[in-house]
Order: sequence, then structure tokens, then C-alpha cells
Amino acid sequence: MLIEFLLGITVASALLVFMAPDCIAGKLAAGLSFLPLGTTAVMWSGFDASGNALRGGDIAFESRFEWFDLGSYALQWHVGVDGVSFPLVALTTVLTTLAIFSSWTPIDERQSQFYGLMLLVEAALLGVFVGLDFFLWFVFWEAVLIPMYFLIAIWGGPRREYAAMKFIIYTNLASLLMFVGVFLLVFALGDTLATLSLVDISAAIQNGGLGELGGFDPEVIKVAAFVLLFLGFAVKVPVVPFHTWLPDAHVEAPSPVSVVLAGVLLKMGTYALLRFNFTMLDDVLTNGWNAEILMFVGLVSVIYGAMLALAQRDLKRIVAYSSISSMGYVIIGLTALTAHGVGGATFQMVSHGLISGLMFMAVGVFYNATHTRMVGDMSGLADRMPWTAGIFVAGAFGYMGLPLMSGFAGEVLVFIGSFHTSLVEGAPIFTALAMFGIVIVAGYLLWAMQRTLFGPFELETDYEIGRAPLQDLASLAVLLGLVIALGVNPDFIYGAIQDAVEPLVRAGTGGDALSVLLGGGR
Amino acid sequence: MAVAMEYYLVLSAAVFCIGLFGILVRSNALVFLMSVELMLNAANINLVAFSLAHGNLTGQVFALFLIGLAAAEVAVGIGIILVLNRNFDDIDVRDAVTMRW
Amino acid sequence: MVDVFTLAPAIALFPLFAFGIALFLGSKMPKGGALAGIAATGGSLVLSLWMVAEIAGGAGPYHEELYTFVGGVEGEGVTLTFGLLIDPLSALMLVIVSLISFLVHVFSLGYMNDEGETGLPRYYAGLGLFTFSMLAFVYSDNLLMAFMFFELVGLCSYLLIGFWFRERAPASAAKKAFLVTRFGDYFFLIGVVAIFATFGTTAFAGEESFVTAAEAVLGGEGEMNTFLGLGNQAWITVLGLLVLGGVIGKSAQFPLHTWLPDAMEGPTPVSALIHAATMVAAGVYLVARMYGFYALSPTALGIIALIGGFTAFVAATMALVKQELKQVLAYSTISQYGYMMLALGGGGYVAGVFHLTTHAVFKALLFLGAGSVIIAMHHNENMWDMGGLKDRMPVTYWTFLAGSLALAGIFPFAGFWSKDEVLYETLLHGLGDSPLLLVGFAFGLLAVILTAFYTIRMVLLTFHGDPRTDVAEDPEPVRWNVKFPLVVLGVLAVVAGALNLGTIKDVIGEENLFLHEWLDGATLDGELGEGGALSAHHYEELLETQAGYEAAEFSALANGAIALVLALVGVAAAWYLYRGTDPEPHMTKLGGVRRVLAHNYYQDEYQVWLATGLALPVARVANKFDQGIIDGFVDAAGTASVVAGERFRRIQTGVVTNYAALLALGLVLLLLVFGLAGGWF
Repeated sequence: MLIEFLLGITVASALLVFMAPDCIAGKLAAGLSFLPLGTTAVMWSGFDASGNALRGGDIAFESRFEWFDLGSYALQWHVGVDGVSFPLVALTTVLTTLAIFSSWTPIDERQSQFYGLMLLVEAALLGVFVGLDFFLWFVFWEAVLIPMYFLIAIWGGPRREYAAMKFIIYTNLASLLMFVGVFLLVFALGDTLATLSLVDISAAIQNGGLGELGGFDPEVIKVAAFVLLFLGFAVKVPVVPFHTWLPDAHVEAPSPVSVVLAGVLLKMGTYALLRFNFTMLDDVLTNGWNAEILMFVGLVSVIYGAMLALAQRDLKRIVAYSSISSMGYVIIGLTALTAHGVGGATFQMVSHGLISGLMFMAVGVFYNATHTRMVGDMSGLADRMPWTAGIFVAGAFGYMGLPLMSGFAGEVLVFIGSFHTSLVEGAPIFTALAMFGIVIVAGYLLWAMQRTLFGPFELETDYEIGRAPLQDLASLAVLLGLVIALGVNPDFIYGAIQDAVEPLVRAGTGGDALSVLLGGGR
Repeated sequence: MAVAMEYYLVLSAAVFCIGLFGILVRSNALVFLMSVELMLNAANINLVAFSLAHGNLTGQVFALFLIGLAAAEVAVGIGIILVLNRNFDDIDVRDAVTMRW
Repeated sequence: MVDVFTLAPAIALFPLFAFGIALFLGSKMPKGGALAGIAATGGSLVLSLWMVAEIAGGAGPYHEELYTFVGGVEGEGVTLTFGLLIDPLSALMLVIVSLISFLVHVFSLGYMNDEGETGLPRYYAGLGLFTFSMLAFVYSDNLLMAFMFFELVGLCSYLLIGFWFRERAPASAAKKAFLVTRFGDYFFLIGVVAIFATFGTTAFAGEESFVTAAEAVLGGEGEMNTFLGLGNQAWITVLGLLVLGGVIGKSAQFPLHTWLPDAMEGPTPVSALIHAATMVAAGVYLVARMYGFYALSPTALGIIALIGGFTAFVAATMALVKQELKQVLAYSTISQYGYMMLALGGGGYVAGVFHLTTHAVFKALLFLGAGSVIIAMHHNENMWDMGGLKDRMPVTYWTFLAGSLALAGIFPFAGFWSKDEVLYETLLHGLGDSPLLLVGFAFGLLAVILTAFYTIRMVLLTFHGDPRTDVAEDPEPVRWNVKFPLVVLGVLAVVAGALNLGTIKDVIGEENLFLHEWLDGATLDGELGEGGALSAHHYEELLETQAGYEAAEFSALANGAIALVLALVGVAAAWYLYRGTDPEPHMTKLGGVRRVLAHNYYQDEYQVWLATGLALPVARVANKFDQGIIDGFVDAAGTASVVAGERFRRIQTGVVTNYAALLALGLVLLLLVFGLAGGWF
């Protein structure tokens, strides 16, 4: 029942904060956000899942009971975590707490509503990662959008209404496609399915339960569902060319919201891709050029996202576009369907959540002090804010994939995993090209740092720019510490991740000894 | 000697079309009201004619109701027209467009 | 007695602790954390020397797995581990790195503390992290770990080159250094990943290592994955060349050498560390580390040799016209690392390592000497403003002279022996059956003259003649903490050649070539497997059987004589041109040639163009495309619905007549439809 407690405590905290007066809302929310964080820590110590939840593995903290009937389907309350979802749950609680701390400075109006909505987003995100019944999961999936819409539309920048509207319409349309995709599968499964539990859907598909639907062959249904689901999730990830809501939303959202947006919201897309496309419908990859196409899509995301980041002048836009680039690696790793490919992709989700959270937070701290984010407007900030600048530099190097920081571990695992996959013709070429992203990312981040942080101090303000507030520095330091800790010892979470992704890989492993050793494709 | 049914129907249709024509081409609200009356009476003719043909009184009862209804409608209509006149100094229906889109 | 090897991890961990102490507590400590760094590197030096003594005493190479970085699950997926490998090569390198680092720390007391710099904790933290990364890189037991610390070395160079971040130039130079080496590392990372995919391991040594596996495959046993339809031999060459990308970047070989001269923007002790023992040395060390792999591919070796020889020559030409002391030294570094690459590519494993060793000593010496001069000159580096410092700072002069003669390759200084051996080995194999190497050899010979010339020019301009400025007339004195490292290195620069007196090996006997014997001593046993997989001897065999390198007969003495004569020619030319009390700037007479050389053959220009003239416009176009077309589509979808609604609501005219018309029309249409569908007509 820990998961129910986790969700309940988060929602209850949100309600409490809504009712609190503005003057204490921030501190109250920060304090209350330690409840889900603490609950996650407790769960961590009792985490005993093995295998993949959707492939018959043991699910930790599972609870499952009938809820109500919908047509011929029994809808259930079914929650639980495995090695893929639990790191993301932990990521959510950590990032939300830190984001709340970093909101103290910039948020100065309608505070109780802001913090209440932040906690509501957290609750909905947690629900997405723990929900195992499709109906339940979908409710949470959509529920994320509502508080997020208000967070952007009320506390955002000058174009907040445009950004918020774009965000909600774009992602909602995508949800529609995804919904159609899932129901395509559900109807094609017909009588073999008694519930809408993801576990049951996955098992039914894997057992070949897909029948004809509307005169179409099951294989066609599979491909159609795969495409619909991919399109639905691709917007969330986001994958080029469905990415344009992201820079707008990030730039307009207040920095703490960007932290959650980049850190966790994007992971919903990749998480769902992993759960649906690459777990339920992984057969589709083996057909024709499908895997190559996906690999290409990932490659384009990596390079194109990085090129766009190179052209930006706004620090937040730079980080936003580089998120697109980083998420491309996740697509590549997932497509490879090798042990380190999928595992590395999952690790990269967590790692990118921490690093992009760190970067957005640091940009926010600079913005609070300088009230500008434009690269050309300031220089030599390191002189006035040495510790923030130092952490920003460290975070930027983390983004560049510096070894002993988590970004490197995620990326190198993805590269190792995707280099030798036999699913993709010319996988080494794809991988090598995608790796060029690490050069471009170094280019724009180093350039941005050189212009803003270094050189003689220049910025016209009518007040002194001093050190950042303690709670901001502490939040940044905690994130940096996590990034380094995971970079030095990825096995801390990678063991659990690998355990959960292994069934996806083993399903088709065969061939020579070396490829088994490498956990190689099919 | 019964008049053939067709004559009633043609008369009814003719009256209806005259009413419709009035609504479509005139702009004076009072003429509108009269045109509506014409259309209602076209229906009355139909009702009475069919009542005669079927040999029961249901149609005629309906016609009586309709006449009452028409009277009420005229009361409301003229009220509207008075307000129209007060607000726009005219009873041209093309002037009263302040609430469109 | 404890097994000293169990202490080996501490060699790198000491400086890591010093990093932490300096960063967080440095501001509260005397000397800004320098003492912690000195103690740590001193400890590392002692431990490294102990390792050397232990290995010399007959202990085998030591290998230990430290911890699992990323574990595979039940044989699924490769396991990434950290481990340390201490064999003669890495032990030697550990000593070099910790020695230079120790001396640089001491020197920094004079260069940074005494000069009243701010931000000292950051400086010493950077030095500590730098030393840690390099030491960990040196004793890495696998390529992935090596790559990781290789990259960290790059980070540290970024931090230290950009130490004076409040000025624009250092920040820019730091960016360039990281970016250019990152470009090389990109290929290196592909290589690492590809080696994983090919062999399932990246261990350097032992029966399970990729080096051994590759050798076995080419010997007809065992198997490996190849990709892209390449054969075994070709794929091994590709792998070697990919890793070489990182080497070229870090060791500043043509065409990725451009970052190094800019890196002079950092504090001079950092330059000494970068050039002599750490960053730049890392590249060449890496080739030596996996020499057993390169020896399998004659193509890769040939390319290494050609790049090395060409770089040695080209960099030497650029050094000819530089006016700033540190710039001359920077280009000499590039040139000297070219020699090392030439040696390794030419089959001279021992020669390459030998030159790496002697170069570390005399280049550290030269940079520290230059640092001493720069202190004296109040941070003016232009040699034309100096002159006559000989009598005013004798310790610096004599030690600098020793380093210069070593660099110039004058008998009996250290550089003579090693450079001669480089040329000799290349010539032997070139005359054997690999004529390509002769091209590299020719470049190398030409570079000997140039090296001697610019070195002596530098010495004459700096120290001889009359003082050309007031500062040079009355330089600021330097203290013991500057002189002590200079003296230590000065002595070493004179005697280090004794490690391997290859030129006179016919006289003293092969067995007295200490370095050769030392590097040959790596007989592996136990978990590392049978045979001498890491020994110089084994590499020679591999070169012969796999790469087809045959050694021709040629007199070592004769070769030495040629090299010495050429060096003396260079010395004489420089002496002739720049002697006297007030030398003329002869190089200006070269006109257009000088301009090309001073602009470094426009290498910087085209690389900057690649970044700002190509990548940036492409990015801008991509951005336009993204904002205009892709986002345009998205916005257009929104706009389209808004516009459609705008148009559509126009039918709500507010005129009752229109509504009535629509109603009537609709009714008629409905009737028509029903009529047609119902067959009324």
C-alpha cells in the first residue's frame, strides 16, 4: 500500500498547500514535499522487484483490485513499480522537492496556488510511473497536463498564453492518437482480454492474441498501433519534427517549472515508448526497415536538436534544444533493443532528468539575479556568482558527457548497445554519426559559458549582483552531487534497470557467443 | 359535392409560399408578423382540410389551438417590435444586428 | 612487509584528496592549498618510485580490478570495470607524472603565490584534479577507463587554461583546447565503443584483453565481430585509426595541434604540466600503452609515422618566427611529440617511450625556466624585450641552457640520445622493407636542423646580448621555490640520456640499454596470462610478423653522427645570425614566408571558419527552417482553425431574413435529398 500512500500524501499535501496563506505556502510545500521523497526512500529500501513488469516479472509494491466495469472490461486499480519505473519515481520526487526550493526566489504572487499545482503535477507524474492499468494510467497521463497548463499560463513569461496553449493542444492531440492506438490493440485482442491492465495487454499480445480487426491482418494492426503510439509519445519526448512546443514551453515557463518539465515530463514520453512500443510491440522492429527508420529518427533528433541549440541566444532555449538532442540518444538506445541499449536509454532518462534539471535551475538562478537570459547581454558572471557559475560549468560538462558524471554513463551505454545491434543495418554508422552530438554539444555549451560566465564582468543593473540564495545553491549542489554519484557508480540504479530490461532483450537473443556476451540483438 | 383534396392543399401551399416569400424579401418587422400569420394559416387550412377528409374533429381542434397560439405569438411579436422600434427608431429587421458574431 | 602494490590506487587518490582539500578548505589554509598538493604529489612520487623499485626487484606487473563500473547481468552485456595495471611502462610514466607535478606545485609557490594571484584554491584544486586524472589514466587497465580519464584531463586543461577567466583570451583558449581535443576524442570514443563491440572487452593486458584477442584472430585462432563488411585486418586498422583520433587531438598532432599554442594563455606552470607530463603526453602514452594492437596494423603504423614526422617538421617551421618565449616552446612541444609519434609508427617502441621520458624532463625544465624569466620580466613574454638575462639570473640561465641543448639534440644531453634513437629506429625499419617510413625519417632529419636553430635563437634572444628594455636591465629576482625545480630538472636533463645510450650500444653492449631492458622486463604471469605480452621484445616480434617491419643493418654511431652534425648546423646558423650584443630580427627578411609561418599556415583560420563560418550558419539555417517551416506547420494548423472559424461565423449575419432563407433552403435541400434517395421522382 506504499504506493497508495505515496499518491495520497502528495495529493493531500497539494490540497493543504492550496488552502495555506501565501506567506507560508513555499516553506510548507517544501516541507511537505519531503513526505513523498521520504516515502520513496522507504520504498527504495524495500524494493524487491525483479524482471520487467510487463513481461511477467515480479512487481514491487503491487496492489491490484477491481474498480468498476466498463463494457466487457473490468477496470482495475493496478499500481506497482519495477526497475524501469522506480528510478523515474525517485527522480520525480527528488526533482519536485528541489524545484520547490528553487521557486522561493522567483515566485512572488499567488504562491499557494503555485506550490499546490507543483505538488499536483508531482502526484500525476508519480501516477503515470506507477499506474499499470491502462485506464488509470491514462487518467494520470492526462492529469499531468492540467496543472502544467496553469503553471505555464499564469506564472510564465511574456508569451505564456501562447506557449501554454500550444503545449496543451499539441500534447493532447498526441494523446488522442495514442489512445486510438491502444484501443486498436484492445479491440483486436477481442475476447482474450478481460481487463485493461497493461500487464494483461502485453501478455495477450506476446501470446499472439491479436486477431483481425475490420478485415485487417494482425500484423497490419500491430504496425498501425505502433505508428499511432509512436506518434503519440513522440510529441511528449519530443522527437523531431514534433518538438516545437518544447522550446516555447520551456522558455515561457518559470525556471522551477522548466526543471520539472524537462526533468520529468519528457521522460513520460520515453517511458511510455519503452512500455508500449518497445515492450508490447517489439516485433514490429524486426520487420523491414522499421528499426532503421526509428534509428534515423533518433539520429536526426540528436544532430538536428544540437544544431538548433547552436543557433540560440537564450540560455534557456539552448538547454531546451539540447534536451531534444539528448532524448534522441534514448530513442537510439531503445531501438537497438540490446541489453546496454535499452538499459542505457533508461539510465539516460534518469541522468538527463538530473542534468537538465540542474541546468534549468542554474539558468533560473542567473535569471533571478540578472533578469536576462540572453547570451549577449552579460559577461563575466563567474566573477559575481562564483559558486553558481562553478556548478553551472560542472553541469554543462555533465551535459557534454564528461566521464564520471551520469551523462557519460548513459551515453556510452547507449552507444555500446546500439553499435552492434543486429536489428539495424549499418548500426555502427548510425551510432558513429549520432555520437557527433557530443562534439556539437560541447561547442554550444562552451561557447555560451565563455560569453556569459567568463571575460570581464559586464551587465548594467541598478543593483549589486551578489551570491545566489542559499537554498538555490543547496538545491544545485544536491543535483550536482547526484549527477556525480550516478556517474561514478551507475550500478547504483543500473543494476535494477538492467534487471528490468533484460527480458526485452533475451526474447530474441541468439546467434554466436560473442553477441550473447554483448547482449546482442536478434 | 366535395371539393377535391388537391385544391385545399394547393391553396395551403400557395398561402404558405406567400408567407415565406414575405419573410424572405421584406424587411419590415410588421410585415414579417403578417407573413408568419399567413404561414400559420396555411397550416390551419391543411389541418381543417384533412379533418374533413378523415371525418374526425382532431384537426379542427388543432386549428383552434393554432389560432389561439397565433394570437399569443402576435402579442409577443408586437411586443418585440415595439422594443425594436424603441431601440432602433425603426422596425427594419436588418438594423437589429448588434449581437451578431 | 605489506605488499606495496596494494597501495597503488593511492598514487592517484592522493592528488584527488588534495583537489578536495584545496577546493573546499583552500581559502582557509596558508598558501591557498598548495601544501596539500605538494604533499599529495610528493606522496605519489614516493609511491611511484617504490613501485619502480619493486618491479626492478623482480616483482611482476601488477593488475587489480578496483571496482565494477557497470555490471552485466548473467553474461548479458559487457561489464565495464575500473582496474589498475602497473607494468614497467606505466610505472615509468607514473614516476614522470608525479615528479613533474610535484615540481610544478613547488614552482607554483613562486609563480602564483609570490605574485599575489587570487583564486589560488581554484588553481591548486585544478592542479590536483589534473594530476589525479593523469595518474589514473596512466594506470588504467582498460581502454574505457583510459578514455574516461583522458577526457577528465581535457576538463582539467579547460579549467586551468581558463584560470584567468576574467580576461577574454584565456576563456577563449580554454574553450578551443577542450573543443579541439573533444573533436579528437569523438573518434576515440567511437573506437572504444567499437572495440567493445568487436571483442567484448577493452582490457589492455592479459589473455582476455582485446590486444591479445586481436593478435589471436590475425594468427588464425579465435574470433571477433567485424562490422560494415570489413575483413579482420581492415577492421583492426579502422579501430586503431579511430583511437588514433584521440591521440592526435590530445598530443596536438597535425591537424588538431591548433589548440596548444593558444593554451599558453594559462599560467606557465600549467603549461609545463600540460606539455611535459600530462595532457599532451597522454596521447602518445596511449599509443605506447596499446602498442601491441597497433603493431598488428602496418597501415595504422604508417599513418602514425607520417603524421608524426610531418608534424615534427611543420611545427618546427612555425616555431622559427615566433617572438614570444612560450610560443616557441609550444611549437617545439608539438614538434617533439611528432618525433614520438614517428618513433612509435616507425617501430621504435622503446625509442618513443625514451623520447617521452627525456622530453618530459627537458620540456618541463624549459617551461619552468620560461616561467622564471616571465616572473623576472613582469609577465612580458616577448623575447625582443629581453636579452642579457644571462648574468642577472644565472641559475635560470644555466638550467635553461641545459634544457635547450637537450631540446636541440646536442651530445651528451638527454634529448640527443632519445631523438637519435627515434631517427635510428625509423631509419632501420624504413631501410628494411617499409620505404614509407623514410619519408617520415626525412621530415625528422629536417626538423633536427630547425629545432636546433629555433632553440638556440630563443636562448640567444632571451639571455645573451645586451638588455633591450629596462625590465630586462633589472629583472625581478626569483626565490628558492623557483630555483629548486629548475635545478632538479636541469640535472636530469643532462643525465637522463644515460637511461638508454642507444647510439653507442655497440660500445657499451645491448644489455646496458637500461630503458630497453626495463621495458622488456614485463613478463606477464598469473591472471594476466602467459608470455611477455607487454614487453618490448614481444612488440618487436609482432612488428616483424604482423606489420612486416624488418630491421635493416645500419650503424647506430653513423646515424648519431648525422643527427649531431645536423643539429650543430642549426646551432651554428642561429649563433651566426643572433650572436652579438644587439641581434637583428632576421626573420622579418623572409617576407611572405614569414607571414605564412606566423599565421601557422592558416590552420587556425580554417578551423575557426569551420566553427563560425560553417557550423554556425548551418545552425542558423536550421533554426530558420525549424522556426519557419516545422513550427510554421504547427502554428499554421492553429491559425488555420482560427481563420476557418473566423470565416465561418460570418453566416451569423444577425438578419432574420437570412436565417429564414437558410432554413428554407435547408428544408428544400433536405426534401430533395430524401426525394432522390427515396425515389420519389
